[in-house]
Amino acid sequence: MLIIAHAHPGPATGPGLVELATAALALLVAAVYLVAAARLRRRGDAWPWWRDVSFTAGGAGVAWAAVGELPGGPFSAHMVQHLIVGMAAPLLLVLARPLTLALRVLKPGAARRGLLACAHSRTAGVLVFPPLAALLDVGGLWLLYGTDLFEAMQHEPRLHAAVHAHVLAAGLLFSFAVCQLDPVRRRWSLFLRGATLLAAGAAHAVLAKNLYAAAPPGTAFTTPDLHTGAQVMYYGGDLIELALAVALAVQWYATTGRAHARQTTAPVMSSARRPA
Amino acid sequence: MSASDHPHTVPGARPEPRRSMVVCGVIGVAVMAAVDEIVFHQLLGWHHFYDRSTLSVGLLSDGLLHTAELLALVAGFFLYADLRRRRALVPVRAWAGFFLGLGTFQLFDGIVDHKLLRLHQIRYGVDVTPYDWAWNMAGLLLLLIGVVLAVRAGRHGRTASC
Repeated sequence: MLIIAHAHPGPATGPGLVELATAALALLVAAVYLVAAARLRRRGDAWPWWRDVSFTAGGAGVAWAAVGELPGGPFSAHMVQHLIVGMAAPLLLVLARPLTLALRVLKPGAARRGLLACAHSRTAGVLVFPPLAALLDVGGLWLLYGTDLFEAMQHEPRLHAAVHAHVLAAGLLFSFAVCQLDPVRRRWSLFLRGATLLAAGAAHAVLAKNLYAAAPPGTAFTTPDLHTGAQVMYYGGDLIELALAVALAVQWYATTGRAHARQTTAPVMSSARRPA
Repeated sequence: MSASDHPHTVPGARPEPRRSMVVCGVIGVAVMAAVDEIVFHQLLGWHHFYDRSTLSVGLLSDGLLHTAELLALVAGFFLYADLRRRRALVPVRAWAGFFLGLGTFQLFDGIVDHKLLRLHQIRYGVDVTPYDWAWNMAGLLLLLIGVVLAVRAGRHGRTASC
């Protein structure tokens, strides 16, 4: 994606076919979500409106990163794209609980059974183990910026597309595993998820500072561009970490609040349960 | 999660002095770290984002601490909200903890980050000695305020048995 706009600032050729297809797909997925949420509400289910906003913003973010004009020099623009595709959009999409929505809206049948089997499969269980998801996400970034991969992808459109697909998928997996909002095979403790967030955040911050000092091997970005890009990565990463931390803290606050309410209002209310 | 879910008079609410102090200590550390980041890195531009003389272990500890501070800020405020919700907050202890946290971070930053790990200096292009002294004395002062408040709260706590 965006290789034309980034690597060769010569003739402006606009977004290519892959970029347009990516953007169209992202918007289509967002539209499907909105239709599904509307159907749920018509049926009488409660589904907070902010989830629609969050998912739409996530889809629009991916679309914009694919075809939009991003600010700054080539490296800074790449970093803004990385922040949107790999961090901000995945979090917005995950916060909207797409799997829960799909399981609620699908009628009992092959599709729903398949989705449920997939969500509860052993493979999915292993993948959403938070430390593994973090390793796939941040480890991939270390490979991208620490080896010749970054240089190679500038000349190889298919590699470029594959790298960005990985960045999006790994970002989704990481946000999904840390937030743990959708029903999966196994639940992990808040402590493990918080510790994973800490380790991943630290690795991301160290990588950003390393990039500030030394560009990815084989590339020749100007120093101001490199410095801006590295700081975008560092402080942008901070914002997403803050958002993830708030997501975890809100879960904890709600859970302890329910436990507390049960204790203080028992025994009359002890059987009353509110949906999560 | 809204306030209306929790009645104002919680039966059996018990003050938690130790937890009040620890939670507000965490907030103090995180707030001081945020002040450092916002005032000295961003507004004044005195601290450098990256200093060539940084050791690689320094870079690693910086990344860990920086992320831990962000998480501590969020965790601290939610734990504080939980104490308030349960009517368990002891304000004197909370203030003592807050100042202890502020002072601890300031001293740690001034001694370990600036001097031992050499992540960055307070200011560049000037003699840094007076800045170091002012920095660490300010940290010590905050720490002392915290100690005095904690001792007073401790005495008060013994007489009032809370």
